[in-house]
Amino acid sequence: MGGPESNPDLVRETRTADDGRELVFWRDTSFAGTVPTMFWSRVEKYGDRIAMREKDFGIWQDVSWRTFGEKARHTGLALRSLGFGKGDVACILSNTITEWMFADMGVLGAGGVCAGIYPTDAAEQVDYLVNDSGCKVMFVEDEEQLDKVLEVREKCPTLEQIVIFDMEGLRDFEDSRAMSYDDLLALGREQDELHPEAWAECLELARPEDLAILVYTSGTTGPPKGAMISHHNLVFQCVNAPHVLSQNEDDERMAFLPLCHIAERIFVYGSLYTGTKLNFVENPETVPENAQEIQPTLFFSVPRVWEKFYSAISIALSDATSLQKWAYEKAIGIGFKRADKRLAGEKPGAVLELAYRVGDALVLRNIRRFLGLDRCRWIGTGAAPISPDLIRWYLALGIDMVEGYGQTENTGIASILEPGEIRPGTVGRSVPYGEIRISDEGEILIRGEFVFMGYLNQPEKTAETIRDGWLHTGDVGEIDDDGFLKITDRMKDIIITAGGKNITPSEIENQLKFSPYIADAVVIGDKRKFLTCLVMIDHDNVVKYAQDHHVPFTNYQSLCAAEKIVELIQAEVEAVNAKFARVEQVKKFRLIDQELTPEDDELTPTMKLKRKFVNEKYRPLIDSMYGGQQA
Amino acid sequence: MLLELKNVETYYGPIMAIRGVSLAVPEGRIVAVLGANGAGKTTILRTISGVMDPQKGEIVFAGEDIARRDPDAVMRLGLSHVPEGREVFPFLSVNENLRMGAYSRRDRARIADDLERVYDYFPALADRGSQQASQLSGGEQQMLAIGRALMAHPRMLLLDEPSLGLSPILVHQIFEIINRINAEQGMTILVVEQNAHVALRHSHYGYVLENGRVVMDDTCEKLESSPDIQEFYLGMKDQMPRGVRRWKKRKTWR
Repeated sequence: MGGPESNPDLVRETRTADDGRELVFWRDTSFAGTVPTMFWSRVEKYGDRIAMREKDFGIWQDVSWRTFGEKARHTGLALRSLGFGKGDVACILSNTITEWMFADMGVLGAGGVCAGIYPTDAAEQVDYLVNDSGCKVMFVEDEEQLDKVLEVREKCPTLEQIVIFDMEGLRDFEDSRAMSYDDLLALGREQDELHPEAWAECLELARPEDLAILVYTSGTTGPPKGAMISHHNLVFQCVNAPHVLSQNEDDERMAFLPLCHIAERIFVYGSLYTGTKLNFVENPETVPENAQEIQPTLFFSVPRVWEKFYSAISIALSDATSLQKWAYEKAIGIGFKRADKRLAGEKPGAVLELAYRVGDALVLRNIRRFLGLDRCRWIGTGAAPISPDLIRWYLALGIDMVEGYGQTENTGIASILEPGEIRPGTVGRSVPYGEIRISDEGEILIRGEFVFMGYLNQPEKTAETIRDGWLHTGDVGEIDDDGFLKITDRMKDIIITAGGKNITPSEIENQLKFSPYIADAVVIGDKRKFLTCLVMIDHDNVVKYAQDHHVPFTNYQSLCAAEKIVELIQAEVEAVNAKFARVEQVKKFRLIDQELTPEDDELTPTMKLKRKFVNEKYRPLIDSMYGGQQA
Repeated sequence: MLLELKNVETYYGPIMAIRGVSLAVPEGRIVAVLGANGAGKTTILRTISGVMDPQKGEIVFAGEDIARRDPDAVMRLGLSHVPEGREVFPFLSVNENLRMGAYSRRDRARIADDLERVYDYFPALADRGSQQASQLSGGEQQMLAIGRALMAHPRMLLLDEPSLGLSPILVHQIFEIINRINAEQGMTILVVEQNAHVALRHSHYGYVLENGRVVMDDTCEKLESSPDIQEFYLGMKDQMPRGVRRWKKRKTWR
């Protein structure tokens, strides 16, 4: 962006908040305040520059802004000619690939509303989302996703057209209400030649206050709720967030989290605004390899990925030579010392700094390169709680990790630790363009122009969530004297033991997840005498442990049942217990002896255990830890 | 357990073919190892019979650790290996081939009994006692290979893909005979197979091997009813609205 001051289109506004803090807003006057006009201003500005990259037959291929614009334009015009008009809803059922963005910008450009569906969702969920949103056009990635839609199509009266990105295996497939994406683009090209002025008119259809995207939040209770996000919500975040978390047209980002999730969506939109190059990974499993190839300069991800990176290093080390182990221990030890100085707000001494430089050049830098993080100006985490120990490890490695907090309902970010600010355990301060306060009940409230429009078809839920202009997050937290926000837990997750003690399970769970052998854990104890916990093991690492320690097993179940593995987890649990007061200690635990996939109800698409589902589904297992008696 | 493998790892040079396999074969049972090409099935048998040495792990046969022993020594303990692709001696007669199977034995009278029993199991061989083994059909060669292994009077048989290259009817016959040998002599058998249909029908217990690891194990009835086995090994698929489904769902091994 070349600095906000040099951009005459950027206007700065300030206002004093109720608590006396100065709020700062930026307005970009170079476009009409909607996503399509923002997008198109970038297409015109950047032309032949690289907008995104994607691998094709193993080779990274560039997509220019011109091509991106053309695909979106043809998508939009074709949709118009099929009778898709202003305010109509299109859904995208696909992994994070470039076509997702082409279709998204086409839909929004045609004045429509776009809703993403998780590619791991089952046909029944697709059915629910299509009917709830009144979806008219469905974009599907491939044969597999197409089958889900065909399975429920008869129950979806609003659905008029299916568009398929990848036709592999579908050459003989004929259907009057389905077409390939290539055919759709060809139709758009024809329309473009017939009415060259049509696209410019389309771009003007949406108003900033109109609904732009629907983000379905994976409801742990009841069916998912469609959060309505307006053009202004999105543009407001895109224009303002880069002033807090710097991001510019020379940056490289990876796109791999599901685009139906607000975090990835808003970061991708932010990249459109700032001209940051987007590199689409091959598939979710290749993130580590792709990161090595791309060496991104900005990297935002969810804690699960940061945990995986950490385990990859600790596991690789167990196979390293003793010289390598020694070198790592030395270098990371110095890194930790330096990190602790910085955490305490002190400047590391000259000797320490020198030692760190040596360790960095010899060891740490190689680890960063191996992880693909060596060029990163900052790495970010959000969307779920992360263990402060993990942030400290990255800090020791020489990478500042910024943690953010926000919700779908406030279009992504509400608070952030700025790069350079280090306060593990807190999620930073409120962004300067929004407000956060704590209610009398301890609930975190958010206010600002990024607060969403409400839940689709659920006015009573909306009224519960937005009261007096404040978004009620359902999270419990506190703000310290310096304005740093600390999240304690989800309001409904707080455990009150039979002894009346309030316990925040996520603190304990985060500590447990820091173990390379524990992928996720759910602490239980509401209305119970003591705390217990269900553990999902990290399959790869535990298998490796079993193999290294001669623990015979055949399948997942027998692995979980192996005495030595239970002892291994026991030791990890005890190590965590040592950090907590007696009432907060986990007295018993059980391993979930079935390998779970995102298709299972009890896992989110990002492989987190859902507390509610786990509590229901494993009730007998849980009761067994309390001697068979129910809560 | 007559045979037990614990955390066995076997390499071909730098390539790890068996990535920590543990399995158990109880006395008198038929245990099947299922898996696609390259899953590591043959390597498991070669590691058990001593043709290959494991890098790691234990192989316990009748209470003795036989890992890293010579094939000859393993065979003398009572483990006979019927290799993949028969490997009969082509220029020896059927009779000579069978007698070669008993090369380690000195009890002539019992050898004659065993020879008779082999001819009883495989009448087709009896008619061709003096014919060169190379002139036999594929099915007959398979019978000969099994017969030769029986001639060592083993406690346990290792069968490597007995169905390989045989017509469905012959595959059925061979497995019927395998069942008979098991039932009549109480012979313990470990059979590796790609043909999951047949192997599951004729065995008691099964292990599924993928990329050198066991991903699932259970009784054969339970394996047959598992959705993943049905889709990936038995070729059964749910009926979809579009008719055929080409894409593969994710395996969960439940």
